[in-house]
Amino acid sequence: MHLVVCAKQIPDPDTPPSAFKIDEASNSVIPAPGISPILSQFDGIAAEAALRIKEAGGDDAKVTVISMGADSARAAIKQVLAMGADEGVLLNDDAFEDGDSYTTAKVLASAIRELGDVDAVFCGRQAADWDMGQVGLLLAEELGWASAIIAKDISYADGNVSVQRVLTDGFETVQMALPAVMTVSNEFGEPRYPKLPQIMAAAKKTVTQYSAAELGLDAADVGASGSRLKIEKLFIPETDSNVEFMGGDTPQEQAAALVQRLQADKLI
Amino acid sequence: MTQATSKKSADDLQSNTFVGSVKLLGAWWAPALWLSGMGVFASSRAGSTPGRDTFFNINQPWIVYVFMAALVGLLTYGFVRHASLWMIGRPTDGVFRNFRNRLQNVGRFGLGQDKVRRDRYAGIMHWCISSSIIVLTIVTAQVAIQDDTPLDFLHGPYYLFFSFYGDLFGLIGLIGVGMSLYRRYFVSHHRIRWDERLEDHLIIVGLGLILVSGFVVEAARIIETELVSHPDWARWSFVSWGLAHLINSFGFTTGSIDNPESQILNLHKWSWWIHVIFAFSWLGMIVFTKLDHLIFAPVNAFFLRTDSPGRLSEIKDIEEQEVFGVGYIQDFTWKQLFELDACVRCGRCTEVCPANIAGQPLSPMHLIQDLKGHLAEVGPSIQEHGHLTGDAGRDVSPIAMIGDVIKDESLWACRTCGACVQECPVLIEHVPTIVDMRRFLVMNEARLPANAQQALENIEMRGHPWKGTALERTTWMDGLGDVPLFDGSQEYLYWVGCSGSLVERNLPITKSVFKLLREAGTSFGVLGQEETCNGDPARRLGNEYLFQILAQQLIETFKAKGVQRVITNCPHCFNTFKNEYPQFDGKFEVLHHTEFLAKALSDGDLKPKYAVTADITYHDSCYLGRMNGTYDAPRQIIELVPGANLVEMQRNMSKGLCCGAGGGNMWQEEIGERRVNHVRTEEAVSTGASQVISNCPFCIQMFEDGVPSIQPEEEGRIKPFDVAELLETAVFGPASTEISDPEE
Ligand code: SF4
Ligand code: SF4
Repeated sequence: MHLVVCAKQIPDPDTPPSAFKIDEASNSVIPAPGISPILSQFDGIAAEAALRIKEAGGDDAKVTVISMGADSARAAIKQVLAMGADEGVLLNDDAFEDGDSYTTAKVLASAIRELGDVDAVFCGRQAADWDMGQVGLLLAEELGWASAIIAKDISYADGNVSVQRVLTDGFETVQMALPAVMTVSNEFGEPRYPKLPQIMAAAKKTVTQYSAAELGLDAADVGASGSRLKIEKLFIPETDSNVEFMGGDTPQEQAAALVQRLQADKLI
Repeated sequence: MTQATSKKSADDLQSNTFVGSVKLLGAWWAPALWLSGMGVFASSRAGSTPGRDTFFNINQPWIVYVFMAALVGLLTYGFVRHASLWMIGRPTDGVFRNFRNRLQNVGRFGLGQDKVRRDRYAGIMHWCISSSIIVLTIVTAQVAIQDDTPLDFLHGPYYLFFSFYGDLFGLIGLIGVGMSLYRRYFVSHHRIRWDERLEDHLIIVGLGLILVSGFVVEAARIIETELVSHPDWARWSFVSWGLAHLINSFGFTTGSIDNPESQILNLHKWSWWIHVIFAFSWLGMIVFTKLDHLIFAPVNAFFLRTDSPGRLSEIKDIEEQEVFGVGYIQDFTWKQLFELDACVRCGRCTEVCPANIAGQPLSPMHLIQDLKGHLAEVGPSIQEHGHLTGDAGRDVSPIAMIGDVIKDESLWACRTCGACVQECPVLIEHVPTIVDMRRFLVMNEARLPANAQQALENIEMRGHPWKGTALERTTWMDGLGDVPLFDGSQEYLYWVGCSGSLVERNLPITKSVFKLLREAGTSFGVLGQEETCNGDPARRLGNEYLFQILAQQLIETFKAKGVQRVITNCPHCFNTFKNEYPQFDGKFEVLHHTEFLAKALSDGDLKPKYAVTADITYHDSCYLGRMNGTYDAPRQIIELVPGANLVEMQRNMSKGLCCGAGGGNMWQEEIGERRVNHVRTEEAVSTGASQVISNCPFCIQMFEDGVPSIQPEEEGRIKPFDVAELLETAVFGPASTEISDPEE
């Protein structure tokens, strides 16, 4: 069984808001010093999901981690390799830059086809930078595979996966025949902490690199030029908070004043 | 300026005065040497009359030598048996380096019993017992020399003197035994009984019987040979002489050598046999019981590390290891295995352990004992396996050392505060042993508490352990005007540290230190955005690999920037730079801010002008205090603040209690009855002080967190501050926090 994990390297979302700056003229984020590139948290969880299936699935199961990004994304790949993945693939080409979910899915799908024998793909439910949550579904579409998104539990038996999905009001369990794409949610659980022997081993694992041409992709169809999404305006919303103290000598009076005030503002 | 009062721990004061003089005099060995010297001297001038027939009334004195041979055989066997188990451990680095210091340690801790005296009662008790055993052994040896060598000295004045000190030390021994019995049987829940075994009773009761039977033998002989004929000789053996009178008052028959069946002669004979058999059996117990500390304690004093206790060992060539840390007993060093055997189950370590005090699942004594038991259980088969195959034999035992024998949560509950190491009378070093096992859990097994894991991941990803902080490394500089970046031209690097810049509460402390440094005219700069975690939390949590990477990177940075002298905010950074970076060729002169500020005050560079009229208690952080011995500098600062009155907590200086955050516990959920910071806050509150001053960002956070639980009423709460904040107020005035840069 060949499992693929899609991993994205993103600027650390756990960054002090004060360090986060935007260039409104070009609608882009200004990279700030002190913000480290990290593996998107949900992708770590996707890797955990794939590894658990691998461990349950016997000896010939294999996990490949794919990342589209700059050379620095090797760090994200290594991290998943250290968790226990077997091989890494880096999709690196200037042509891939500034794409959207659609072009990303397209590039990933080509790479998965290139790998050939893939049975299942695991993505994070969304990348923790733009939070679009599209790539998994688009990838399934592109590959023509079944998909289940926002999984909290996945089990595998006889060529089928059973996926428990998180809904807004509960859970749902779906079954799919492989090949399939799944996106994994934080409810799945924490990704494992890599053991040092694995970290050492990860350093020795190979990371194969593909360019657009090697994947048979036309530069015009990917990256910025292939994008279907256009950012109109990027800005940090102004937030404002006002504090008002309710008068009244007793808690009862204060509560009454609060009710009046809320009613006046038509909040209740 | 107000005189501050300070009641420091008795033993810390002792180390200057009492201990000094005792050390000069020697503990027991000085009187012993002196007495035997007298013997030799007297033997050369022998000739007067008083004396005795050594084996009077005993027909088979040679039997003693049979016993002696058996004892030597037993001791040798025991030693070989023990040693073969220690040898399954890995090599120990540098145990013969700093030979002089090591010999000094043997003198100070082994012979001088410096640690034993940290509990005064136990110190006196132990001195009584050990000195009596030593002197009485010398007494006995003299009897043997007199009898079996041509030397002839046990007569004349020396004989009388010999009789006197023999009795004196017999009595001293009995006093010690009495103190021990009292402590064991009449004090409820004494630490000595927290892991009590049959041997404990046998040892102390046995010793009592040996001493008593010795006196009876002596008394019976005196009745027969001296009481009537030489009453003036008999008086020198003052205890036996009294006892002889007592026995005599019952009117037993006395005899002579021709009449060997008299009651007194029988009494003599029987008590002699009891005495001899008990004495040899007791000594034989050295092999099987904690009495082995007689030998192991001084030897372990020799093996005691001679560098700072704040330094953890380096895993060399970490990338080439098969197993990381210690998860199997044979992966400890032989020194670590050796010291398990020295433990006497005195409970001192557990008594002072913050985790244990708070009812959390850790008792260093039981940890050591459990490891010792595990060694005895699996050691022999590992050893046998090793002989056969030459490999490490890690699969030999089905019992998991960590998990089955030592619980994970015990290892995580440790604060690496070093209180146990500080107290252990036989010089066991618990902290490295605990951290070695953590290393295994983290690096080899990736088995660690979720929050600790998050802290480590955060360090890996973001270079600091404070997940989710809304602050930047430069936020603290707001309002301070021009903050110079270190560029190699300044004398000092002011190292702010992650906690000093990324935790809201600590920003005022960082600012205080900064303002004071500027006020003192110090030439310094900061690294700002370029600071990263120096690796201390990673190392203490057991991720040595991460620590080494961080340390090497930072040492590179320091060297590239030309850093030579560092002032740190945080005692953990301080300890790491000072004690641990030299392991990686990073040698810098490191000062904690309290040390620097105390010096600036005494040099007159800072002038405390404003009074802070308050009772203040001072909390010693473990890594400035116990680990690095800086107790005075912060106290000097407090004492120089006008109006400040220092009131010590019960546990202070080297006996200070950890705030609870050490050893990576800042980032863990505590399990157990209470939280350590609540215990310590309670102690601070009970002094009645209105401020608790410390020197460590972690301690301050722990107090800030603990105070509302201990004092739910906001009125009159004790306020935690750093020494620098106190000094800032004294130098710049109470409103100084609002004063910004003068140039602004
Ligand atoms: S270092 Fe401190 S917390 Fe750890 S075992 Fe020793 S006394 Fe207890
Ligand atoms: S480890 Fe040391 S302090 Fe603790 S019980 Fe053993 S001998 Fe006593």
